[in-house]
Amino acid sequence: MTTSLLEISELTKTFGGVRAVNNCTFAVPEGQVVGLIGPNGAGKSTVVDLVSGFGRPDSGTIMFAGEQLVGKSPDVISRLGLIRTFQTPREWRNLSVMDNVMLARRRFDNEGLWQCMIRARAIRREEESDRAAVREILERFQLTELKNELASRLSGGQKRLLEFARIAAAEPRLIILDEPMGGVNPVLGTRIGDAVGQFAGDGRTVIVVEHNLPFIEKTCDQVVVMDLGEVIAQGPFAGLRDNPRVVEAYLGMDLGHG
Amino acid sequence: MYWVSVFTEAGIFAILALGLDMVWGWGGDFDLAFYGYLALGSYMTFVLTIGRPTPPVEYILGWHLPVLLAVPIAVVVVVAFAAVIGSIALRNLREIYFAVLTLAAVSALYIWVENYTQLFDGYNGVYGLINPGQTTLRLTYNGYRIVLLGVVLVILLLAYLLVQRISRSPYGRMLRSVREDERAAAAYGRKIFTAKFRTYLFGAAIAGLAGGLFAIFVSAFNPSAWTPQELLVIYAAILVGGRGNPRGVIVGVFVVYVGLIELTRFLPSPASRPDFSPALRQVLIGLMIILMLKFRPEGIFRERPGRDEPGKPARPAIRQFRTRVAAATSRAARVSGSPLGSAPDEGGAG
Repeated sequence: MTTSLLEISELTKTFGGVRAVNNCTFAVPEGQVVGLIGPNGAGKSTVVDLVSGFGRPDSGTIMFAGEQLVGKSPDVISRLGLIRTFQTPREWRNLSVMDNVMLARRRFDNEGLWQCMIRARAIRREEESDRAAVREILERFQLTELKNELASRLSGGQKRLLEFARIAAAEPRLIILDEPMGGVNPVLGTRIGDAVGQFAGDGRTVIVVEHNLPFIEKTCDQVVVMDLGEVIAQGPFAGLRDNPRVVEAYLGMDLGHG
Repeated sequence: MYWVSVFTEAGIFAILALGLDMVWGWGGDFDLAFYGYLALGSYMTFVLTIGRPTPPVEYILGWHLPVLLAVPIAVVVVVAFAAVIGSIALRNLREIYFAVLTLAAVSALYIWVENYTQLFDGYNGVYGLINPGQTTLRLTYNGYRIVLLGVVLVILLLAYLLVQRISRSPYGRMLRSVREDERAAAAYGRKIFTAKFRTYLFGAAIAGLAGGLFAIFVSAFNPSAWTPQELLVIYAAILVGGRGNPRGVIVGVFVVYVGLIELTRFLPSPASRPDFSPALRQVLIGLMIILMLKFRPEGIFRERPGRDEPGKPARPAIRQFRTRVAAATSRAARVSGSPLGSAPDEGGAG
């Protein structure tokens, strides 16, 4: 049995009187793709925010590779090897596609103000290997032709691909995708599924928050189901169809094509 | 001599604009306190060089330092002041909230300087820094003004080269990503406050330096010299030249200052309305901002996106020369059969 990379226990977060996340506990094994599903308002995105440092839980713990994430800021958590996306692709609009992916390489050592004044030429030389890696990644996501364009010029689908190119460039241990299939056509959807598969193949752990259940069924090793801030089920997708609580939460929705 | 003055002033404002563009153009923070940093740099340069005040004039320090020492000290004071403002304003405030706080800060500084006469002699201001170094350099008055223009332009060139270098570096790229989307930048590990704060201090240092030069240029300084409107002209210049592009910023300052403000001086001014010309200038600046935003919002020079030019090494000329030399030597070695070409794959065969 693999060990858990991420362990969330008894996590609670309230906004005013609303318990967005209520005593939420689940674990994500290293190397697996885990789907996080549930109806609107179930608290999925809040969990993502709490894990990535964009919100602070009222109580509970979040352990990532032996580190307590509660109380750490987003940049610190990101530097530990966790990359998250947002529901809309948040590309850096007025930077080129190349720069967007170069930034995701995250060579923080070369970003000091003094460094850049004194060692400008050396830094440019050191960047060459990253440029080569980024070119390969752009090729993989079919963005090579667009690499010198501003990211704002890309279409919605291309922005999704850029998002995945950035994740690939960042080489994180844990990837959290917040609704990667939002507004995506079927062809692009297949490619996004492939990308998730490739991340898993590289040994990365992936959490996918998604409403598209066929996508979840295809890509995820197991699924965590949330409703009204609580985890109501966890396990392989196939077993969920018979779970009365899941059926109740998803009343009227087709849980796969069985 | 009139044009020497105009260009010196424009040069000083171009230096200031380079600093402001880092804060606003790259960092995205609309800072209204920035002119205050130039003013503080000026004031400090005065009180560090002009000696003890004679009553009823009063101001702090009253030292008699050489200008070359006074300006760096003034820069340090400005950076310290900016650190206080920046550490408050940059933490959580963005956009209009940031602008309002910096406006409040500069207004407080303005009112304080104007009313607390012990500081910089209030409304009367400080004066007496007249052409420092003119006698040492044995220059005439006109000669000195021309040399000063040269010094300002050299400092502008150095500032430009430095800022341009930072602009194209990973630091410039990182800062722009913070401007474009702060949450995404944090999600990719960037320390937002640190990046903005460092840039702010660096920009303030440039403003302080511009202030020191301004002190030497004007030889007297009082609150009427730094009304908040002055800053809007600098913003207009950055907008016209090209926000985020150091070259554009300098061009913008010269276009706005020399082209617009100075040329309108030659417009006929009705004798009955002496305020006609300055008012017209304000209108023209407003009109120019509107027209630029409508027809060319990126400015004369657009911000240069990071391009990837394939197969272009850092120093192509030297590298090509080296490979050609290497090819020639190995060819020569093969032809003569001598051990001259000590390449490992050929050594054994010979």
